[in-house]
Amino acid sequence: MIELDDIHVIFNKGKPLEKHALKGINLKIANGSFVTVIGSNGSGKSTLLGTLAGDVLPTKGRICFNDIDISHQNTTRRAALVARVFQDPLIGSCGNLSIEENLALAFQRGKNRGLGLALKKRNRELFRQRLSELNLGLENRLHEMMGSLSGGQRQAVSLIMATLSTSDILLLDEHTAALDPSMAEFIMKLTHEFVENHRFTTLMVTHSMRQALDFGTRTIMIDDGKVILDVTGEQRNKLTVNDLIEMFHRVRGQADIDGEMLVN
Amino acid sequence: MWWYLSQNALLGAVESGLIYGFVGLGVYISFRVLDFPDLTVEGSFPLGAAVVVVAILAGYDPWLATLFAAIAGALAGLVTAALNQIGKIPNLLASILTSTALYSVNLHILGGANVPLMTGDTIFTPFSSSQISDAVMRPLVLAFLGIIIIALLWRYFESNSGLAMRATGVNPRMSRAQGVSTAAQIFIGMALSNALVAIGGALFAQVNRYADSSLGIGTIVLGLAAVIIGSTFMPWKRIIFPLIGCFIGSIVYWVALAYALNGIPGMTPFDLNLVTAGLIAFVLIAIGKFGGALNDRT
Repeated sequence: MIELDDIHVIFNKGKPLEKHALKGINLKIANGSFVTVIGSNGSGKSTLLGTLAGDVLPTKGRICFNDIDISHQNTTRRAALVARVFQDPLIGSCGNLSIEENLALAFQRGKNRGLGLALKKRNRELFRQRLSELNLGLENRLHEMMGSLSGGQRQAVSLIMATLSTSDILLLDEHTAALDPSMAEFIMKLTHEFVENHRFTTLMVTHSMRQALDFGTRTIMIDDGKVILDVTGEQRNKLTVNDLIEMFHRVRGQADIDGEMLVN
Repeated sequence: MWWYLSQNALLGAVESGLIYGFVGLGVYISFRVLDFPDLTVEGSFPLGAAVVVVAILAGYDPWLATLFAAIAGALAGLVTAALNQIGKIPNLLASILTSTALYSVNLHILGGANVPLMTGDTIFTPFSSSQISDAVMRPLVLAFLGIIIIALLWRYFESNSGLAMRATGVNPRMSRAQGVSTAAQIFIGMALSNALVAIGGALFAQVNRYADSSLGIGTIVLGLAAVIIGSTFMPWKRIIFPLIGCFIGSIVYWVALAYALNGIPGMTPFDLNLVTAGLIAFVLIAIGKFGGALNDRT
């Protein structure tokens, strides 16, 4: 269980550019659930993800995982717990390292990194086998630089990287937003399989209302740093994309609606 | 004739190239692996020289004295890392502060501006023999040492810890998400880098049999010359190639310099730094114009 207890995040506190990004988030997320998070630009949804990852430490409030307080642990210390896929494929992996070196880095996520060889025969076998799941032919390109892959291929490898080492929480930050539609669909299919197989507690931030309802078991909407909608089960099954847009109208007023959301 | 260079001048150039190859390795680790522009080297090179000379004069074994020099260099690197990571001083400025402070430290260690190493064994002494001249023996010993250090570094960069250091320089955000403590990597990397530079200084002092507080001037440019020229000869991305490249680049640079000083009329040793800066500017402009891929980091 992830528990967020009255989480506030204030950037540049006391300065002219002060921004109150999260204004008292209270959430309880059961282990194994798949939560989709929507909200307009600047609503605080990415900050929420950053707070769970450890990139942003809460100004006030408490984050607990399985009753352990992790509020003050930074990203490095939470890495054993949290796997992530970023929106920008360039951020999620190292272009200047080979595919196998990137996988080796991810394989040691949250573990001690000693002087043992990063790439042993046994690891390579595992990496090859995992890459073959993608059917992209990458299993024969282990030595190539990550930077030589397309954005979609890099994102697919990022998903493999997220699942190479065991972790409890998977954070997906608009991880299909930078991809073309067919690649985005492929990545979502892969995401779905991985979440099923590895039994993560998943949070997926998305710009697409369609994705938010089609995937996962629960949907929350963030606006102005607060949770304004939280639906699961029957209630969620009945929701349509139009209902969500309707809700947006009510909260933000017509003019504020993100063009991208309507397109999706 | 301009292409004529005496055998001794050529051997001397190769010798200097090998010594500054160690500096090149250190500069490669800070500038390229960690993406941390580090001028500490201007202080850690003479620090290595000062420590080794004083230690040998105090009666220590030259290998042990060289180890002391490496440790002193590592400490200098740690100071820069601490100023940057704990003091939050921008990396370039932090390193300038350390190298400035080291100037005083070096004067204290030497007890003056210049100390000759007239007596006492160096690491080269046991290899001296009547079969082979010292001018040939020293480059051979230096090359052998270089190969050992390259092999050790290669092995390190292929380990889990070394991979974490390489990732830290390329993509710190991703590295943290993978559980790498980027701060720790910068401490380790800066210590390693300046230890190598100090070893370079220690070898310089043993070859030339003196240490001088002003030895450090231009060290960074000589190190960068090794890295940059090396990367044009060894452009491949696997980590072993740039490591070897540091030595190749450094030797090419010193031999070219020897030819320039010898062959261009009116050139004197006074022009050394002028030629150095000019040559590096030339190489950088050439890379910028024709080899953009070399600067590609993502």
